[in-house]
Amino acid sequence: MSSNHTTSSVTSQTASQPPTPDTALVVMVHGSPRPESNRDMFAVVEEVRARGLFADVKVGFMELNEPTIPEAIDACVASGTTRVIAVPYFLHAGTHVADDLPSLLEEAAQRYPHVEFLMGDYLGHDPLIADVIRDRAAF
Amino acid sequence: MSNAIILFSHGSTLCGAGETLKALAAQMQQRGDADIVRVGFLNFSEPLFGESFDECVRLGATRITVAPYFLVAGYFVQVELPKVLSPAQQRHPHIEVRVGKAMRDHSLLADAIISCAQRAAPPVQWRHLLDSAPQWCRASEECPLFGTPECPATTQPQA
Repeated sequence: MSSNHTTSSVTSQTASQPPTPDTALVVMVHGSPRPESNRDMFAVVEEVRARGLFADVKVGFMELNEPTIPEAIDACVASGTTRVIAVPYFLHAGTHVADDLPSLLEEAAQRYPHVEFLMGDYLGHDPLIADVIRDRAAF
Repeated sequence: MSNAIILFSHGSTLCGAGETLKALAAQMQQRGDADIVRVGFLNFSEPLFGESFDECVRLGATRITVAPYFLVAGYFVQVELPKVLSPAQQRHPHIEVRVGKAMRDHSLLADAIISCAQRAAPPVQWRHLLDSAPQWCRASEECPLFGTPECPATTQPQA
């Protein structure tokens, strides 16, 4: 067994699903009554896009702003994506992450039965958040 | 002399939604980001910000840094935080208080998104957070599970 893969075509059935070049990333964002509040988020998503890990990177808003999450998914599928990873850009495991976002993804999976949908962990659960907080608390 | 960090956060109506943040605070304290690290919620979840502030002082903190657990320094940080911070400072006027920044566009957030994507799961696991909420049940009428078959408080007779 060589571990020296240059490309990976292996789809694992485990919980860990590495990003692949044929996968689209949809960043699911709450949305804000003040659209300028999304500026920092767009900068972060642009940084993700620049890494080139995904065939497509799109933002979808749960409410208040556009495109909506279903619209972002539609756009990914329209451009030929067969696998969507949707990451909640949320800090809390509240009702949106626990219930509302899964419902949106289930509806999308019914609309596009030929597309594989995976839901990522929510942002606030990532270990790197501790480092972000520490930096932002420092003076 | 003792330093404390309070992670200032919005609460959630869903039981257990604050547990991850409490674990994060414990982890930050353990690795020495400050002598004391606590969570202080604005509403819904416990402990509330003022209670955490009082506890930090009781534990010997002389300097408290309020770290907004928010992506953007919007309404909650600019308007609601001062409303709970001012009374705490009046109770403890000798404590040095600083307010840190929101996460905004920190460079590690891009890494965090990618890391979250790497842990992506198939549909059968999408509701594991909702499924695990009953273990944190606090019989809150505001919890979305309250009154549903999943709610321990409303499906089991009270002793």
